[in-house]
Amino acid sequence: MVGYVCKYTPIEIIQAFDEEVLRIEPEGKAGEDVESLIHPNMCSFMKGALEEILKNNINEVVLVNCCDSIRRLYDVLKGKIEFIHIIDLPRKTDDHACSLFYNEILKFIKAYEDFKGKKIDLDKFIKILNDCKTENQNFKKSIAVLGARFNGSVLEKIKKRCSLNIINLTCTGDNRLSKIEKRDNLIFSFAKALLNSFPCMRMVDDRLRFINKNNIKGIIYNTIKFCDFYSFEYATLKSALNLPILKLETDYSDLNNGQIVTRIDAFLESVGAGRPNVKIKKKGYFAGIDSGSTSTNVVIIDENKNIVSYSIVPTGARAIDSAKRAYKTALEKADLKEKDIKYIVATGYGRISIPFSNKAVTEITCHGRGAFYFDREVRTIIDIGGQDSKVIRLDNSGSVVDFVMNDKCSAGTGRFLDVMSETLGVSISDLGRVVKDFKEDIVITSMCTVFAESEVISLIAQNKEKKDIIRALNRSVASKAVSLIDRVGRRGKYMMTGGVAKNSGVVYEIENKIGEKIIIPFEPQIVGALGAAIIATEIGNPSQRQQQLYNTGIPEN
Amino acid sequence: MDLIKTYSNIIKKNLGNPYRAFKLIKLGFDIVYKYVSFFPDKRLPESLKYLNRICIKNIKKPIDHPENSIWVNIFAPTELLIAMQIYPLFIEAYSSFMSGFLIEDYLIDKAESAGISNTLCSYHKAFIGSGELNILQKPKMAVTTSLACDANINSFRYLSDKYDLPLYIIDVPYEYNRNTVEYVKKQLIEMIGLIEDVFERKLDIDKLREIIIRENETRKLINEYIDNLRLRSLNSTMTFEMYMLFTSHVFMGMEETYSFYKMLINDIKRAPLRTGKGIFFVHLVPMFENSFKEYFNFNNEYHLLGCDLNFDFLAEVEYDDPFEGIAKKLILNTYNGGFNRRIHSLGNIIDRIEPDGIIQFCHFGCKQSIGGAYILKRFFKDKGIPFLAVDGDGIDKRNNQEGQSRTRLEAFLEMVKRR
Ligand code: SF4
Ligand code: SF4
Ligand code: SF4
Repeated sequence: MVGYVCKYTPIEIIQAFDEEVLRIEPEGKAGEDVESLIHPNMCSFMKGALEEILKNNINEVVLVNCCDSIRRLYDVLKGKIEFIHIIDLPRKTDDHACSLFYNEILKFIKAYEDFKGKKIDLDKFIKILNDCKTENQNFKKSIAVLGARFNGSVLEKIKKRCSLNIINLTCTGDNRLSKIEKRDNLIFSFAKALLNSFPCMRMVDDRLRFINKNNIKGIIYNTIKFCDFYSFEYATLKSALNLPILKLETDYSDLNNGQIVTRIDAFLESVGAGRPNVKIKKKGYFAGIDSGSTSTNVVIIDENKNIVSYSIVPTGARAIDSAKRAYKTALEKADLKEKDIKYIVATGYGRISIPFSNKAVTEITCHGRGAFYFDREVRTIIDIGGQDSKVIRLDNSGSVVDFVMNDKCSAGTGRFLDVMSETLGVSISDLGRVVKDFKEDIVITSMCTVFAESEVISLIAQNKEKKDIIRALNRSVASKAVSLIDRVGRRGKYMMTGGVAKNSGVVYEIENKIGEKIIIPFEPQIVGALGAAIIATEIGNPSQRQQQLYNTGIPEN
Repeated sequence: MDLIKTYSNIIKKNLGNPYRAFKLIKLGFDIVYKYVSFFPDKRLPESLKYLNRICIKNIKKPIDHPENSIWVNIFAPTELLIAMQIYPLFIEAYSSFMSGFLIEDYLIDKAESAGISNTLCSYHKAFIGSGELNILQKPKMAVTTSLACDANINSFRYLSDKYDLPLYIIDVPYEYNRNTVEYVKKQLIEMIGLIEDVFERKLDIDKLREIIIRENETRKLINEYIDNLRLRSLNSTMTFEMYMLFTSHVFMGMEETYSFYKMLINDIKRAPLRTGKGIFFVHLVPMFENSFKEYFNFNNEYHLLGCDLNFDFLAEVEYDDPFEGIAKKLILNTYNGGFNRRIHSLGNIIDRIEPDGIIQFCHFGCKQSIGGAYILKRFFKDKGIPFLAVDGDGIDKRNNQEGQSRTRLEAFLEMVKRR
């Protein structure tokens, strides 16, 4: 069996040796073993592939001179496995490039023949080419998957959910070899056709001219951490094509998780490409409403606990009005009616004043459930909202075993940061930035918002650098959070929820203090509502699961 | 230092007005040029004072005359441009100056907010950021090689689209053989055709030959310099090692470059013997990092012996068929192809220079280089030379973890010293 990663690999040649090919698709994140072989700041897909190859004893690998990461993958693998070969892929497609690539393929055949001690079976090669399916090239009414490589199994999932044709134009795409021209020099023609596959970003060709926008209804655009190729294209693409685009940012291994698939589903629905029958099969939907002091959030999930839609609206003067508005928005987004919702659980400060909910549960329990849904290894939740902050400890079954709260004053909360951003005259997003290059280590001593504000005013008067003050403020919020953490005791993994989790400056400073990474869910403000919705599925669908988890003994006050 | 900061603040305030910002940056170059011409650092040998002047003078040319300039990357075959009296602006140098002017953070943020990946090399991000802000004046065209990293093609394509420039990409294949030489040669000829059209002037092939002959003479001097490093060291600063990247690449073949190396040989021959520990760098030197500055600038205890990027091609270039010669030079560059080439050439240079320790500065975002760090570690271990890989950023000072790298550097130097 021969492992490969790139669509430009001449897999038909390998098959003509009567060998099987295997596209390497790392499923998890690369572990520590890999960190001892290659510098961590490399492409996450490549690191995953390296691990996969070594762990699964894939002893024959054919690479393509794709990018800096893959070039180094080759160097690292050399000598570690039995057969490793790199095929140089020209970046151009003119005649010279074709003959270069042809030579590269001949070189590969020779190398593999020497290694295997057998000859390539040309009859078999012809047969394979004849059987080769060529995908629909005219992009008829399709959703295109573009950008960095896309995981094959996730793609299969999407195909099932999409009513339109899906074309994979990424590194894993196999719409190839549409036209092998002259048959007199078959391998040359093969090389030429292969080189003329839909160009990836490493090629010189202008990709956009290959996309017939009339036939494409939408684009799912993937980007991978530490792979810089595709960030260049996304912005241009968006303005040039004027098509709906869903941008995904993953590290490859997390492409397969629930959140991403949910986002894809939502996208497909929004462009009218969702499978209509998917919904009908459902037994029902469940909602969670988190009525907080600054925002009201609603999450709707299906019976299998897949997020169907969510909404976040600012809380107005009357909690009930905001709750209605948020609920309505979420229903609309999911294209559902009120009668489709089987059970509603309310949580948050205003939970008791929501008459259309079936039950009220505290936000502590709900946060626990929501966080555990995102990552089952979470043991400590740091929730910093607009006007309060709390730290929740979970045990390994996801039950709340301890918690501390600070709801007496706005110190160390979102409100504190709002006030300070006004005082400083910077936007909230500016306040949220990570400051590493500080000039001066300023400490804000007062915890109380009012006193801290006057401290900031005097720092401004002293002409201190803004970024130093920003850092000091973020550190002040962070230290307040860490003191709460210390009251329940430190234990990883950590997850941060609530609006302040979107402030990377604060997150960075907390991480610095506790010396551990913090998980931030894709939408940290909906964790409470999500937990409520999960509890709703369990009460509203009692057969589904035992009820013991939300009855954690935490008093319902 | 404070002067620079004030200057930097003024530029930052004016970044909203591209033309004024450009003028200010141009002024910055003018001042630096005057300064180094009239008040050269007395501690420097003559050759390096001269180097300082010619580097700034030649980087100023494309800035002062954008209409006669081409954007290039450091590996672009600028002999061809020099022969046609076209001024190359090489983006890595431009970005380094922006970091020197303390505005790189702003430029980088600008590039990132335009959607460019934050893990892209900051040499490229700072340049793209300047493009986003329109403070780069429009040159006539752009030329890049695919060598030595992925960043080149994408950055150049992105900015050429934005500025509506003709762009020529030289695709340098992985391996050296008859076919690949032919492939690159054909591209060079095609490129010259394009340049001739754009600039409406012809390349004089004899002029090009003359430049390549001078380039070969210059390389002989570089080789002589390498051999002198075994015994002696100039004890200057990291900045000058970086300036030498200008003369060993983009300004190669110029008369001034030749004169510089002549002077350099004179100076090194009279330089004091190496009494401290000699350190050789892989790829880049971190000229903005404080801890490194302390240990390597004007220090007799530790000598900065150079970096291998300055010695990435040490052979002769054929001048009877200059296109073929340049094609071979590009393909045979030690930064091209597999990492074994780098190892091989590092091995050679190290045998010639005999340093006491090797440091690889793992510039954030530079996958081609950092991806080989652990291979180098094993290689030097076998060779019995202490090796340190330390993370940082050559441009974006925010990516430098001062405390961490200081501890690692000091521990390493102590170890080297004990041997
Ligand atoms: S970027 Fe291009 S060369 Fe690299 S794996 Fe993808 S398709 Fe292959
Ligand atoms: S994801 Fe990007 S960086 Fe990673 S191997 Fe593929 S092309 Fe290279
Ligand atoms: S530092 Fe590395 S990534 Fe950056 S331009 Fe140089 S070779 Fe490319």
